[in-house]
Amino acid sequence: MAGITISGLSKRFGAGDAAVSGLDLVIANNQFVTLLGPSGCGKTTTLRLIAGYISPDAGTIHVEERLVSAPRVVVPPDRRGMGMVFQNYAVWPHKTVYENVVFGLKLRKLPGAQARRRVEEALALVNLTGLEARYPNELSGGQQQRVALARSLVVEPEILLLDEPLSNLDAKLRERMRAELKQLQRRTGITFVYVTHDQAEALALSDMIAVMHAGRLQQYGTPHDVYARPANRLVADFMGLVNLVPCKVLSAANGVATVDAGAGLRFDIAVASGTSAGNAVELVIRPENIRLHAPGGGNGATVGRIADSTFLGNISEYVVTLAAGQSLRVQTHPRQRFAVGDAVAVEVDAGQAVCFAGHDRHRAGQ
Amino acid sequence: MSADVGRSAIQPGVGTAKIALQAGARRPPLRMRPRLEHVVMGAAIASLVVLVVLPLLSLLIGSVRGEGGLSLDHFGEVLSGRLYLQALKNSLVLGAWTGLFSLLIGVLMAFVVSRTDVPGKRLLQLTASLSYLSPPFLTAIAFVYLFSPNAGLVNVFMRDVAGLPWLTFNIFSMAGLVLVTVLHTFPYVYLLASSALQSVDASYEEAAQILGASKLRTAISITAPLVAPAILSGTLLAFVNAIALFGSQAIIGLPGRIVTLPTRIYALFDYPPEYGLASALSLVFVVITVVALYLQRAFLARRSFVTLAGKGARPQLMELGPWRWVLLGFGVVVFIVAIIAPYATLLAVSFSKSWGLDFWKGLTLANYKFILFDYNVTQRAIFNSLLLATLAATLAVLLGAVIGWIDLRTLIPGRKLLDYASLVPLGLPGIVVAVALIQFWLAMPFALYGTLAILLLAYIGRYIPLSVRAANASLRQVDPSLEESAQILGASWATTMREITLPLIRPGLFAGWLLVFVPVIQELSASILLFSSSSITLAVAVFNLYETGYVEPVAALAMINMAIIGAAIWLANRLAGGGIAEKTTGGQGAPS
Repeated sequence: MAGITISGLSKRFGAGDAAVSGLDLVIANNQFVTLLGPSGCGKTTTLRLIAGYISPDAGTIHVEERLVSAPRVVVPPDRRGMGMVFQNYAVWPHKTVYENVVFGLKLRKLPGAQARRRVEEALALVNLTGLEARYPNELSGGQQQRVALARSLVVEPEILLLDEPLSNLDAKLRERMRAELKQLQRRTGITFVYVTHDQAEALALSDMIAVMHAGRLQQYGTPHDVYARPANRLVADFMGLVNLVPCKVLSAANGVATVDAGAGLRFDIAVASGTSAGNAVELVIRPENIRLHAPGGGNGATVGRIADSTFLGNISEYVVTLAAGQSLRVQTHPRQRFAVGDAVAVEVDAGQAVCFAGHDRHRAGQ
Repeated sequence: MSADVGRSAIQPGVGTAKIALQAGARRPPLRMRPRLEHVVMGAAIASLVVLVVLPLLSLLIGSVRGEGGLSLDHFGEVLSGRLYLQALKNSLVLGAWTGLFSLLIGVLMAFVVSRTDVPGKRLLQLTASLSYLSPPFLTAIAFVYLFSPNAGLVNVFMRDVAGLPWLTFNIFSMAGLVLVTVLHTFPYVYLLASSALQSVDASYEEAAQILGASKLRTAISITAPLVAPAILSGTLLAFVNAIALFGSQAIIGLPGRIVTLPTRIYALFDYPPEYGLASALSLVFVVITVVALYLQRAFLARRSFVTLAGKGARPQLMELGPWRWVLLGFGVVVFIVAIIAPYATLLAVSFSKSWGLDFWKGLTLANYKFILFDYNVTQRAIFNSLLLATLAATLAVLLGAVIGWIDLRTLIPGRKLLDYASLVPLGLPGIVVAVALIQFWLAMPFALYGTLAILLLAYIGRYIPLSVRAANASLRQVDPSLEESAQILGASWATTMREITLPLIRPGLFAGWLLVFVPVIQELSASILLFSSSSITLAVAVFNLYETGYVEPVAALAMINMAIIGAAIWLANRLAGGGIAEKTTGGQGAPS
């Protein structure tokens, strides 16, 4: 198995903005690493650079100790020993399932009987036993995706690259394949580099998540870190619903500050060193870290009024307007019910909130 | 499925030995080594330069090279000499009349087929396809057999038997030339107009009608403007193709003393050959063609707002009542004039001892025996043409596939330029291609002129746009990820091409092959200047036999020509699995 070291990687197409710029990333052996970001953030370009389909303008990629990409000189994809699963499956329509999967083994000149056994094992691994003779147009989308997986896995790549492999599947199948992918990676120990724009998918699957935006790495950390301790506003915003509350620092000492959001809403919160009284900051509060109570309830609660309510089944979502005019989105247990117009006490779990300086700088993680 | 199976299959060291790619194991130093694909791409680019760019450059140079250095004397003479101006005028008159009648017939047929309830639409479609595929010089010969002033069968019958001398028709006239040419060019208008009419979303017309517009009003103010660009584009294609046809202009124009640009250029090669004048006149010819094609592209580009809606398009069929029989009659007349008359004539002549009113009294196979077994010139011509057409089609398709691949799959700078260069021959009439090749290869140190090789180069060069378009269209249907997934599994470029790309674009390549084979087997305009007695081709043999008065064997050879075309279409259809004939006639075609 193999780890990947990316340093100073940049790529620009035509005269536009750089697709990837100054990317540094260390992907450890046996890990499931997700490149996460909105479309156009450079995650697919990064994956294609790792695969060797395109060459970088600057920077290098090493697999273990071996230099595989540098400007103008790349080891071509067919010499990298990697596997790749494409968003559109890319299962060859003129070959049967068996022929698709055995292709890589034939290139490696594996003897027939051995190849046959390996194909059978790979198909069993993805639950496709018995479909060897089918053509791709006789398979469902999910089955085609499994063929693509089996085709990549059968050659035992050190590294498997996956480009939004689940985005063309329907929701139910997606969830099932997600679980299977995770299992597969844990079981095989292959290094997975997985590209997605779906933060829930990234959180569920990954050992490490690299959040990208506009060609730059914003944060690289465990799912927990990235979700709970976003490095900047962009990351916080991308990792699910957030409330952004502008505040003023009242006092600061030893990395802890008291901030005021107006209307008597005050928090004690960890801040970056150098923050001092009078600074404008922005508080990021996730909807699930706010609790609602009947008026008068809760600790250190402030008062608001329900402006909108949406029942989502497993949770209820409310928009609460505070006395100072800010709106907060709040998620509660569905059994806790309020009507639009109700007055409520709002309690914020400040320990879970994150504070950024008022003018957000795009910080590179790590 | 058990987890154990998975573990043994995938984990290295457990059960199976790790298999590594050879190169990966060797850890090659990181530098660019020339790979097969670079060699192939380089060869393709070089071929295009030799086939198209260099001959065109030598045409340009030849036109401005005077006795003492550069001069514009050739252009001066070409643009002021009476002979040349007359040829220019005749070509433009021919093109204009042909364009007009192609427009009328093509639009009417397209309208009838796509928008009315006229019966027998298959017959009309067949008429258009066959007219498009028929070698125009063979149609011309057939019409001469029917309408030459003295010996034409119809004329003889009207004058001597029916006693109706005023019903005779002299084919050796501008009217005759236009008639014969239109029979080949109206399909251009028909094809573009009918595809446009079928793609206009019916909801546009319904929207006008719900607002109170009558059917006629709707047709004039909604439908007509939407399809006008396609129709004009088809008309210009008809014009460009009409003026480039050497065969019919020589067969019908010359006896009628109607000299046109191709026949004038041809005459300039009578001894002593006037290369400078021929080059200058060729360039004038190219300018006309290129301007017309430029306008055509511009009109066609405007079609984009004509809704290629696809799903929403369900054209309304107009109920014509008794009028549909009138329009059916019109279709039948076109079918008879364009297909039955020439084919039946050639067939009858080919089995006659002597062509005349009582030809049926002496039917014989002697003509076929003569051209197939007795006369070595026609034997050689058939062999040469089969060889050249097969080679040219195969090479053009391979070259087209590589050029299309470079354009669509690589980021090589200048790849768009390559694509444009491959389209340039569309603007070159056949005889101009011949002039350019002669200029270029006469300047080379080895003798190519008069060999099969120069004919092969001419054919590939002329029809490379067709194969590039065909390859391009099929490559667009193949998602790059299908190739990339083979590559990442360790497949080299050659393996990826052989295993993935070529099998997937095979139907398109066969279509492209046929698109080149069919015109090559009937090519006359360029061959007429390039052949020698050893490299004579089928079309040239037909033309020469005709010129020397072998009436009956000409018809037999013409039938052989048609049989080869039919066999090629059948074969390509079988190999590619259907739909080829439609693709062939659906293409835009190069000027003949």
